[in-house]
Amino acid sequence: MTAQPSVAGPAASVGRIWAVALNTFREAARIRVLYGILVLVVASNLLALVMGEMSIREETRVARDVGLAGISLFGSLTAIFLGVFLLYSEVQRRTIHAIVSKPIERWEFVFGKYLGMALVLSVLVALFGLAMALLLGSQGVAPSLAVAKALVLAWAEVLTVAAIAIFFSSFSSPFLSGIFALGLFALGRLTPDIEAAAATAQGTWIPAVATVALELVPDLHLFSISGRMLDGVAVSVHGEFVGWGYVATALGYGALWILGLLAASSLLFQRRDFS
Amino acid sequence: MREPCADGALGPQVALSLAASVSALAIEVRGLEKTYRTPFRRRKVEALRGVSFSVERGRVFGFLGPNGAGKTTTIRVLMGLIRPSAGSCRIMGHDLPSQVARSRVGFLPEQPYFYDYLTVSELLDLAGRLFGLDRATRRRRADELIAKVGLDRARSQSLKKYSKGMLQRAGLAQALMNDPDVVVLDEPTSGLDPVGRKEVRELILELRDAGKTVFFSSHILSDVETIADEIAIVARGQIQSQGTPRELVGQSLQGTEIVLRLAADAANSDAERSLAAPARAARRIADELTVTLAAEDDVDAYLALAHGLGAKVVSVVPRHETLEAVFLRQIAGADASGSAREGRV
Repeated sequence: MTAQPSVAGPAASVGRIWAVALNTFREAARIRVLYGILVLVVASNLLALVMGEMSIREETRVARDVGLAGISLFGSLTAIFLGVFLLYSEVQRRTIHAIVSKPIERWEFVFGKYLGMALVLSVLVALFGLAMALLLGSQGVAPSLAVAKALVLAWAEVLTVAAIAIFFSSFSSPFLSGIFALGLFALGRLTPDIEAAAATAQGTWIPAVATVALELVPDLHLFSISGRMLDGVAVSVHGEFVGWGYVATALGYGALWILGLLAASSLLFQRRDFS
Repeated sequence: MREPCADGALGPQVALSLAASVSALAIEVRGLEKTYRTPFRRRKVEALRGVSFSVERGRVFGFLGPNGAGKTTTIRVLMGLIRPSAGSCRIMGHDLPSQVARSRVGFLPEQPYFYDYLTVSELLDLAGRLFGLDRATRRRRADELIAKVGLDRARSQSLKKYSKGMLQRAGLAQALMNDPDVVVLDEPTSGLDPVGRKEVRELILELRDAGKTVFFSSHILSDVETIADEIAIVARGQIQSQGTPRELVGQSLQGTEIVLRLAADAANSDAERSLAAPARAARRIADELTVTLAAEDDVDAYLALAHGLGAKVVSVVPRHETLEAVFLRQIAGADASGSAREGRV
C-alpha cells in the first residue's frame, strides 16, 4: 500500500489554504482590469493635485482628501470586483472540480480564496498609498502619521468589503453579488446618516427597522473617519486624528466581520453541488 | 473484514483504520440517489435511482453508459462534488467525502478545466500542495509524471496553449500526483485521437499493473471492452448489469460458425447440400464452406456429419453477443421501462 501524507491537523490545513491563496494571487495578478484601476487611482491623485491648485490655500487638504477617498472607493470597488468574480469563475469554469476532489475542506478553499484576494488587495492599497505619497511629495507635502493611519483604515475597509463580496458570491451570480455587495457597501458607509435619519422619524416603525438593519451591516464609516465627529470631537487627517488604539479597535472590528462573513460563506459553499 | 476492536487491545480509531485498510473493496457504492429540481418549473429530475456497485482492489472497472445515463453524476458524488440525496460511498474502506478517502484517490474530471495561466509544473505543484506533499516530493513526482505523460517539451508553456490531448495528459498527471490507490477517470479517452486513446489505455493498464484500482467512465465501447476487467452498464440512473466482459457478453451464445474444407469432388454435390441443410446460414468460397449453426444446434453431431462426408474442419468459433449488442439492448430496455414509468406518472 502507498504511504500517504497526513491530511489532518492544523499545519496541513494551513498548507492547503496557502496553496489556494497563492494560486488566487497568481490568477488575480493576471487580471488586466486591476492595472486599469491602478491607473485610475494615480489619475484621481493627479486630479486631487489639480483641484488643490485651484483652491485657495487648501492645496494639501484637497489633495489628501481626494487621494484618500480615491483609495477607499477604488479599493472597495476592486474588492467587490474580485470577490464576486474569482469565486464564481471557479465554479463556472469548473476549475473547482480538480480542487475540491482533493483532500481540501470547502471552508479551507473559501478562506484560501479570500486570503489570496486579500494579498492582491493589500498590494494594490500599498501601491495606491505609494502613488499618493509620491505625488504629494512632489508638491512638497511630507508624509504624516495621520495619513498612514487613514491608509491602514482604508486597507481594513477594503478587506472587509472583499469578505462581503465573497459572502454574496458563495450563493449568487456575479451580477447579483455585485449589486448586493455595492448596496451593503453604501449602507455601511452611511450608517451614521441612517441612524440620524431614523432618530428623527420618532413614533413610527422606521427607527426599530433601522436599528435591526444596521446591526446586520458592517459599520464601514468607522474606517473613513476623517472629517467626522468621534465622541463629540471632530477628527481629520489635516489636524487632530484618531490614535493607534482606535485603529487597532477598527481593525479588530473588521477582522470579526471578515471571520463571520467567511464562516457564513463556508457554510453556504459547503451545501453547494458542483455540476 | 475485521471487526473494530475485536481483539480488545486496539483503540477504536486504530481498529477502525485497520478494518478500513483490510477491506478487499476499493470502491463501494450503495443505493446512491440524486434528485434535482429544475430551476423555474421545479420539476423533479432523478439523475441517480439507487446506484449500487463495488470495485475490487487492483482492477480496472469500466463504467459504461450513454450520454445522460448518470455516469458523471455518480463520479461527482464519489469525488464529493455533489451531495447525494440518499445512499453511501466508500473508498478504500473510508466513507466519502472524508478527507482520508479523498487523499487516496486521483481524479481526472470530464473535459478537464484547469487554471490556464499555470504551466504543467505549477499545476502539479498546486495538486501536490493540496495533497500535503513536501517540496522535494512535489518536485520529484512532478518531474516523473511530466515525463510519463510526455509533456517534457511543453513544461514551460502555459496550459492555455495546450491542445485537448495535452490537457488530458496534464489532467492525468495531476490525478497521479499523490500516487493514489484508486484512480477515477471521467471519460478519459473522450475527444482524443486514436493515438491519444491508445496512450491513455496503455497508461490505465500500467496503473493496474502497479496495483492501482482504476475506475473510468466511457461511452466508447471498444475502449471499455479492451481494458476493463469488470464493467457496469448504467442507463437512466440505474445499473443495468455488472460483470466481467466475458460474463456480460458470454451469457447468450448466438450460434457457432464452422469453416469446413470440402473434398475436391464434394463442391456442388449432395455432400455440400447435406452440410448446408442443418445450418442457419451457409456460403461457399472456393473449396471452403462456412456455416453458422443456431445456438441450440448440436455442434458435435454436426462435426461428426462433416467428418463422415469427408470434409476437414478448419475452425469452430462460438459466436457470442457483442458488448455493443448487450449495451444497446440494455439501453433500449431501460428507455422502454423509463418511458412506461413516466407514462404512468
